[in-house]
Order: sequence, then C-alpha cells, then structure tokens
Amino acid sequence: METHSSRLRSRSLLSFAISLMMPFVAFSAAGADPAAELAGFSIFPKVDLVQLSKGDAKPVRGGALGNARYLFVQTVYVAPHPPSELLAKMRSWNPARRSELNVYLHIESSNFSRLQNPPDNSAVRDLTTATAQKSSDLQVSAAERKLLPGENFASVWTKILSGRASAGTSAQPPYENVSPPVRPSDELNALLRGQEKIRKQFAGVNQGRGEMYWELLSADERGVLTLGAYYSRSGSGGTIQTANTRYYASGGYYAGATLHQLWPVQVEGRASTLVWRGDMISSASVGSLRGIERIAAESTMIKDISRAVSLFRRDTGSAR
Amino acid sequence: MKKSLRLVGVTFGLIATNLFAEMVEVPVDDGTSDPVAIEADFHATYVGGADVERGSIQINNFDEFNSLARVLVLPRIKVGIIRLGAEYEVYAFDVPEGLQVPDRLQSAALIIGLDTKFSDSLLVRFEAKPGLYSADDLQRGDFNVPFILGGTYLYSSSLQFVFGIGVDLEGEFPVLPGGGIRWKFAPQWVLNATLPTPRLEYELNRQFMLYAGAEIRSKNFRVDNDFVSDPGDPGRLNNAILNYTEVRVGGGFVWRLSETCKFSAEAGFMPYRQFDYHRTPVRYHSESGAPYAALSFHGSF
Repeated sequence: METHSSRLRSRSLLSFAISLMMPFVAFSAAGADPAAELAGFSIFPKVDLVQLSKGDAKPVRGGALGNARYLFVQTVYVAPHPPSELLAKMRSWNPARRSELNVYLHIESSNFSRLQNPPDNSAVRDLTTATAQKSSDLQVSAAERKLLPGENFASVWTKILSGRASAGTSAQPPYENVSPPVRPSDELNALLRGQEKIRKQFAGVNQGRGEMYWELLSADERGVLTLGAYYSRSGSGGTIQTANTRYYASGGYYAGATLHQLWPVQVEGRASTLVWRGDMISSASVGSLRGIERIAAESTMIKDISRAVSLFRRDTGSAR
Repeated sequence: MKKSLRLVGVTFGLIATNLFAEMVEVPVDDGTSDPVAIEADFHATYVGGADVERGSIQINNFDEFNSLARVLVLPRIKVGIIRLGAEYEVYAFDVPEGLQVPDRLQSAALIIGLDTKFSDSLLVRFEAKPGLYSADDLQRGDFNVPFILGGTYLYSSSLQFVFGIGVDLEGEFPVLPGGGIRWKFAPQWVLNATLPTPRLEYELNRQFMLYAGAEIRSKNFRVDNDFVSDPGDPGRLNNAILNYTEVRVGGGFVWRLSETCKFSAEAGFMPYRQFDYHRTPVRYHSESGAPYAALSFHGSF
C-alpha cells in the first residue's frame, strides 16, 4: 500500500491563515440580497441564515486558482453582531493569544524590537539556526542574503523586515533563493486574480499601503517571519470588505491573502452579519503535490481555517 | 471494480450532503477547472550477486536488475481525484534457463483508482492494477487484478495514521494489512513508519532530503505453461503462481530539481529474498544477501 501521507509538510503552512481579521477604506457594490450576492461570486449557491447562525463555520475547498502551488478555501457563517461591530472584533482579536494557532508574535506596527527576545521553541530555534547558517531555505533577495547572518538574529531580521516593510506590497524584492526568482507581489496578485468572480467582487480592495503588521509563526513546524497589510472598505447598505495580504514570508509559503465580505442581515430579529471568508496561499511545496497528497494539503488548510474561525468566534462571542 | 468506484462516490456524496444540509446547499463548482495533473516515475535498481537455496539445491551468485516505469493522469472530479495510468515493471535475474527460478518476472498493468476523502480528517485511496503478471513472457492467461484500499487519518499536520489493505487473490495471503504512522517530531525530522516503506527522513534543506529505511517488495506472477522446472519433477510448476519477495535496507537522498521534478539515489543491502511457489512445496529463500544501488526520477506536471 502506498503511503498517502508522505510529504504532508506543506499542509500546515496554514497556521498562517489565521490573523486575518483586521481593518481598512470604501467600496461600492452591495447587492440588496446578501444571499444572492454571495451566490454570485462564491461557491455557496444558497444559504439558510437561521441554520448558519446556529452552526459552526464550514470551510470548503474554494476551487482552482490557476496554478498548482495555489490553494483556496472558502468559508461562510453568520455572526450575531452587525458588521461594524464584527469588524471591530476582528481588528482587536490577536491570534497570538491562542497557542493552538502557532502564531507566536503578532505586532501591528513596524517596530521589530520584540525580535530581540523571541519565544523559545523548536520552530523559532530552527529559524535562528537557519539564519546563523545562511540557509538556502530562507526566502530573501541576493542583497538581503549578504546581510546574513549579521550581528545576531534580531538585528539582521530587523534590517530585512524594515526594508521590506518600507518597500510595501508591490515593490517587494524577489526571493532569490529559488530559481527562477519568485516575486511575492506577483504571487499575491495572481492569487487575487485567480478566479474572475472573486477578482471582480474585491477589485481594488487592497489599494494603498494598508495597515502594516508582522508576525512570527510556525509553518510546518518551522519558524517563519512574515509581513502583512490590512485593508478594509465600507460599501452601501452597511456592507464591509476586508483584505489581509501576507506579502512577505521568510519561508514556508510565498504569499497569502484572506478576504472577508460582511453583509448586515437580520436573523430571528437580531442584527447579525453574514460572513464570507476566502483564504488563499501560494507555496512551492504545494506545487509538487498531486492526488491524495494534494487532498491532504487542502484538508489540512481547511482544518486550520476551521480552527482559527472557531477560536475567533468563541473569543469574541461571535458564535451562538 | 466499477461498482466499488461508484460506491465510494455515492458514500462521499452522502457525507457531503449531510455536512451541509444544516446550513447551505452543497457548494458548487465555481467553473474554474483544475488542470489535469500528470505524474511520471522511473526507477532502476541493481542488486549484486546473491544466493538462494531450496534444501540441497543452491543457485549461487546471481545478480538482479529491477526497473519500473509508471505514468498517471489525475483528473479532478467532484468526489475526488481519479487515477488513470499504466505501469510496467521487470525483474531480470542472471540465472541460466531451466531452473526453478525464472530469469525474468514482469508485469504490465493499467492503473485505475480514486483519491477522495470522507471528511477533512479521513482520506481514502482505492487503486486497482489490472494487468498481466508473468514470469518470462507476458501472456493473456497471466491476467490478475490486485488492488489496495487505504486511508490516512490526519490527526494533525505533524501526525498522521495510515492504514489499509492490499488484496491479491493469487497471493498466499489474499488480504494483507499495511500502514503505520507519519510523525514530524522536529522541524527537520520525519518518522515515516509506514509499511511497506518505513523511513526516517531528515530534511537538509528544501532541495535535499536524506533518509534511511527499508522496503518490502512482494508481487505474484504466473509462470509459463511450458515453464521448465526441475528435470526430476517435470511439469510440476507449469502455470504455477510464484510469489517474489524482496527486502531492501538502505539509505539515500532525494534531490528536488525543481518544483515538479525530483531525483533520488539509494544504496544499501538486500538481506532477504524469496521465490515461493506457494501452492506447491517449492520455495527458494536467501542463502546470502547482496548490496544494491537504485536511482529514481519523479515528475509531477
């Protein structure tokens, strides 16, 4: 019997898909019927708001995005708060408070001083060792590679992350540890344009620089430093869209994005929000997976997102 | 087999429907189709001179060349990923003709299977290999359909349990269990203790992985109608089923050439092999082992 589970490594890249509930600017759109609008761009053809409000979120495979190294998961649920209130909860929720999510640090600024005293665990030690050894696994440009290993872990990564944060999403230097080099901004754009309906629905949501954050997390048991930006915009009828883009990662995955669409709905007389969430990731290790290994990667991503959404809803009182 | 495939599909459909009936209609295809994936594998192994014996009969110092080529097309459908392909494998032994050990074992088979899931934690593979499994020349009468039915339980991203059965009606034991665990116990270490290929893996970096482990290979072949057996016992083995088993213990590396291609090399020792006409008393087993070296190429497109 062949081993289905070999190379499951890629599958937990998705601890990354976690802190994606944050802030941001204004969109138009907003159909009069949230369910119809949801059906128009997502894989959910029909929703029962009452049932959704009583059950768990059920993430499912979101369909193809046009490249073997991309994975996409869509989720729908109803939260018992109006969209503005839910957005505030999303912005204030810190995934680093939940050890299950393997996000060790979540900092909403470009202050990297916390790198001087990182948590001590095997994933972070692995990243520290990789830095000291100038590992070819580190996703950096040729110029950044010359900075390694630097004086110490904190100083070298502060330089690299500061430079990349200043460059912003669209001007990221390429990852030149792989051949051919990979531009994370290209990966991010390809993810967001992978499905025409999604692209149209969220067109322009990630304009500008957004609100910057950085994280230290574990992807596939290995420490990863990542940079992200949050965007949000309000639409007509009280709707809100958000985008959380992860435009740099020191390893594990190339880029990722999480989109949210929030519609105000009334469920059994209570002001609530119909939530659609889309999680996308680009990862080299996913690109080589076929057959049951690919199904395993998707399933692991679905389980990670399910766990993240459940914890967020539990922590914020967003589940009934 | 068609029936089996249909059952798997129906079962998955029911599970999916139950999962979503509470809240929404079953998610629909978004219209963006997955590209059809293709996998190709090529393996070649040379095993040095070794001996086998049956009582006082010995066959000494014969080497082996084993090669395998496999191509799979993996279209995605609603219930999972179909596996369609073909596989050819040959064992060539450097023994003179006329002995009870054939100089060639070969199989040419189609591959028909399905990878699917019953939940986000329980993945399932069904795979049948209808084809000709022959000692010496491929003949229509050597048709057989061995198959596997296996599952993986995803306990977490670092720990999975693998289980399943292999079914071959021509085998001495028609149903054989398999499985084990895969445990990533450190950032660079994976214990992949799953039969028939248990391994300890160390990821040097993203391009390079080292491993040490073992492999148990076992397959059933039918010998020819005019198979020349022991002259003192003429015709006894004609048309008999021969089970060939080989154990390899060694180490090697996997070199990821690109996102889609991998090359691997392995060397070690073959401590045991057996030629077992299990429906007769004739059985040749190892008298001595031999070193081996193997090369493999894997492409996924």
